[in-house]
Amino acid sequence: MDRRRTLIALIAGALAIAAALGIRAYLISPTRGLPERDAFAQKHADDWQAFGGTWEVSGDSLRNSSDDRGAKLLTGSPHWNNYSIEADLMLLGGGGDAGLILRSSDEEEGVDAYYGYYAGLRSYDNNLVLGRAEYGWTEALTPLDPAAGHIVALRWYHLKLVAYDCQIAAAVTLPSNPAAVTVSTVSDPDCIRAGRAGLRSYASGGLWRNVVIRQANRQDLAAMVAERDATNRSAVDPRPASAAGATQQFSPPAPRSDTFTFHASSHTQSISSLRLTSSAAPAIATIRGSVVLTAPLIVQDSTGGVSVPQPASSPLLKLGDQVEVSGSVRQNDFSSTLEHAKVRVLWEGTPVPPVMVSASQAATGAFDAMFVEVEGRLRSKAYGPGNTLVFTFDAGPQSFGAIMTRGRADYLFNKLKLNSLLRMRGVIIVDPAFTRNATPFVLLLRSADDVDVLAGPPWWSARHLIAAAFALLLLTLAGNLLYGRVERWRLRAVLEERERMAHEIHDTLAQSFAGIGFQLEAIRSGIPGEMRATHQQLDLASDLVHHSHIEARRSITTLRPDGLESEDLLAGLSACVQRMAEGGAVQVRTASHGETRSVPPRISCTLYRIGQEAIANAIQHAHPSTITLSLEYTKDIVRLGIRDDGYGFTPGGEMHGFGVPGMRKRADRIAAQFEMTSTPGQGTSICVTAAIPPPVTWSSWPKILISYLKESRRHVTPFKVSH
Amino acid sequence: MLKRRVRGRIYRWLLPMAFPCILICGCYRQTHDRIAVIPRTTGRIVWESLHTGVEAAGYTDGIRIYWNAPTRQDDVGGQIALIDRLVARGGLQGIVIAPDQSLALITPVRRAVAHGIPVVILGSPLLTPPSGKLVYVLNDEEEAGRIAARRVAAILHGKGTVAILGINPDIAGILRRARSFEALLVQSYPDIHVIDKRVGSFNVPHEQQVAEETLKAAPHLDSILTLSASTTEGVLSTIGSNPEYSGIKVVGFDPDPVEFNSPNLDSLVLENMPGMGACAINIIRDLQAGKTVPSRIEMEPMLVTRENVRSAQVRQWSSTDFRPGPHRNWGRS
Repeated sequence: MDRRRTLIALIAGALAIAAALGIRAYLISPTRGLPERDAFAQKHADDWQAFGGTWEVSGDSLRNSSDDRGAKLLTGSPHWNNYSIEADLMLLGGGGDAGLILRSSDEEEGVDAYYGYYAGLRSYDNNLVLGRAEYGWTEALTPLDPAAGHIVALRWYHLKLVAYDCQIAAAVTLPSNPAAVTVSTVSDPDCIRAGRAGLRSYASGGLWRNVVIRQANRQDLAAMVAERDATNRSAVDPRPASAAGATQQFSPPAPRSDTFTFHASSHTQSISSLRLTSSAAPAIATIRGSVVLTAPLIVQDSTGGVSVPQPASSPLLKLGDQVEVSGSVRQNDFSSTLEHAKVRVLWEGTPVPPVMVSASQAATGAFDAMFVEVEGRLRSKAYGPGNTLVFTFDAGPQSFGAIMTRGRADYLFNKLKLNSLLRMRGVIIVDPAFTRNATPFVLLLRSADDVDVLAGPPWWSARHLIAAAFALLLLTLAGNLLYGRVERWRLRAVLEERERMAHEIHDTLAQSFAGIGFQLEAIRSGIPGEMRATHQQLDLASDLVHHSHIEARRSITTLRPDGLESEDLLAGLSACVQRMAEGGAVQVRTASHGETRSVPPRISCTLYRIGQEAIANAIQHAHPSTITLSLEYTKDIVRLGIRDDGYGFTPGGEMHGFGVPGMRKRADRIAAQFEMTSTPGQGTSICVTAAIPPPVTWSSWPKILISYLKESRRHVTPFKVSH
Repeated sequence: MLKRRVRGRIYRWLLPMAFPCILICGCYRQTHDRIAVIPRTTGRIVWESLHTGVEAAGYTDGIRIYWNAPTRQDDVGGQIALIDRLVARGGLQGIVIAPDQSLALITPVRRAVAHGIPVVILGSPLLTPPSGKLVYVLNDEEEAGRIAARRVAAILHGKGTVAILGINPDIAGILRRARSFEALLVQSYPDIHVIDKRVGSFNVPHEQQVAEETLKAAPHLDSILTLSASTTEGVLSTIGSNPEYSGIKVVGFDPDPVEFNSPNLDSLVLENMPGMGACAINIIRDLQAGKTVPSRIEMEPMLVTRENVRSAQVRQWSSTDFRPGPHRNWGRS
């Protein structure tokens, strides 16, 4: 039996190991999820993770409308190794670069805060950049094929980046002129072996579409190298090329050779000073600032913010752009508006960090049209008009709203739980057109990445409390079941040990008594009859041996658990009477009442032991002619009765040796009621009543639990003697 | 014996189950100790020379360097969040930080020190004294101011006017260099007059606007001292777009990059970033070894002119080749 269990355990263990290894092998598979195509056209970008930037689905593309340096959006498995990523790509600005990432790991927000490779198009020096980021930056530059012209913003390019072993290659083509291909290859001896794929831009926004990631092989790389050999003219890296021909190596970046020269108007004023403009006559003003929101256009300088609704002329703007705005000033309650404005980009800068304010501060209107960070507890969420998501927040004594466009935010919308504590970055608007006079201000969020969940809903919500109570009950039930199982194991071990002891007594003590008896008989038969004193002593010794033999056999009978295995308790006890009476004149009567029910082994075993003890007492001390055994089943209880017609005894007399305390103790262990009645000359009656636990079902388990808890408080009825 | 039997049954089931769990858990990568180096920003190439210094020093002792910072030089909140995140993550031998602000970073830095992490403040000090595991490795701003004053005096032959632009009250070092500059002029060059002083920021268009206002107010200005790279860019941009100011000479600080693309740029005061970085790493190493270290070290800057810009020392101080060991190529920049 033990060997079988051990074998089952070993097989189960082996299966568990195999399953774990299988799951692990699947999770770390370098091709899991490949090939992968974007679902931007279906407005799905949930599986992309942003590190900086403002990433939103726009048409069939993903757009980063921010000049953030090193904004990244990652997807895929960290175990992908040899693969390619390609996409159509458009730069939104002329001062930086945008491209693709592969083999990325350990990403954080920051310019080069990841380990991985990057290929991008850089407009200001017209290079295809192939770079390695390792919380630092090295790069290899390849000038674009002259046939492709200069890299400019708002034009689509097709970029492909391949990594195979320690060879990295990138190629860029113009969709309108596929022949004008520029290829760059790098051999990186100490290469990064695996990682995720992604999109990245540096000081330039970008648009990406048709992103495809697929497994790469040596032929893919060879094809790109052949293309490079056929088309590349030269490399910017002045160092000697490696043995692989024009294959380059990564080098530290050279400083930008251009200086930031821009021509600005000399008649600008601070944004806060717009509020001092006379409202009596139309006034034209020029301000400079950083774009903090593109739709609607909000520009901010160190003194405040101004909204620029529907500018008369405006280039494509990105967050962080330093712009000069000239327009007609209109005074609002808390800020100004520049109408019919002309907007000019001076410089592509990094987006300004938000000012952290409380909702109460924001509600004063002092931060109208400014980029801020506010905390609040989510009170409601809903789909708003015009493809928007509308949230309402409570923060201390104030309430405010937040609005963001759908797309990547849909995932966030579904994930956010009411009463969560959130931190949001956005532009404050107090215009009633947005607030609908329901809250003092609303926050216009730029993207889903402007929301951080600081804490989920408080755990003491009604729902959580109910769930916790339910879990506690389940846990208690499980503990109870486990305790029952352990108790069964323990009981089985006890019985095994008792059986072993019975065998030991039978094989040693009982056999020895029998042998001594035979020897005494042999001695007596050899001694002359006139030696009366000796005969008397031998008789006494024989009696003692006989008595001891009976006691030993009784002990064996008591210890042997033969009856326990029997499902029929009465049959077991009846057999016990027959064994103890040794074929004497004791008559056994049995009676069963009620429908036989399944009784837990712990209870049936205890009843059997009490019955054994009672029968032994009756046979040894009461010399009955009849013993009546009865078993009664009801819905909740089982009652065992043992009645004899023997001598009986006087209540309150000497009870030692009758095993009554032992029977009481056994009954006590199963919380059973023990009653004993005896009258001299009329026999003795013992009755044990035990509760039967109902079977465990989904509907019955709470009741079981309650009765289990009550059980520990119940006591056996004190010994009662009737006259 | 009884308990052993029960235990045996439990173990017989649990152990085979536990093994795969241990197998899976054991496959996770462990975090190694490293030193975090946080410049003001990683978005400007000027800080790569600091990266060069810390990587070189770390390479010698086999110390791993974590290099990251906000994307803007004025993102104090970003620096604070980064420190807090690193401290919470653990596994740090120390932190080297070039603070964006003299006051706001005191609390997070103190918090890191309270966690037993040595912190080296680099370049410009915080407004709190060094103590125990808080050490300052600074640019000698007094000397930097004097170098600039001597250079302006040399350009103007001891007589003329100068404006000081880019006084950023958030950076204690910038205030010190401005005071030192002015003090030496008053003391040694009484015929050179500071006729305008303007507060500055890290925003180039804003600095350009300030430069325009300054030049409009004093069109006959002889020279301008720019106290930061952003101010230098703004001033040179303004002068470049207004030919009437072409005679003005500019002496700048913290060049980004070390190049003389504008004829109006006379000279640049360059900090020894690689030296300060290496020194900071060595201090953390010594603190971890229980050695006594000086609580404050100041390193002298140098003046870069068109004459010495190609010198080995300037190339080394402005190198962006952070790769340690045999990859290093000092000549790239």
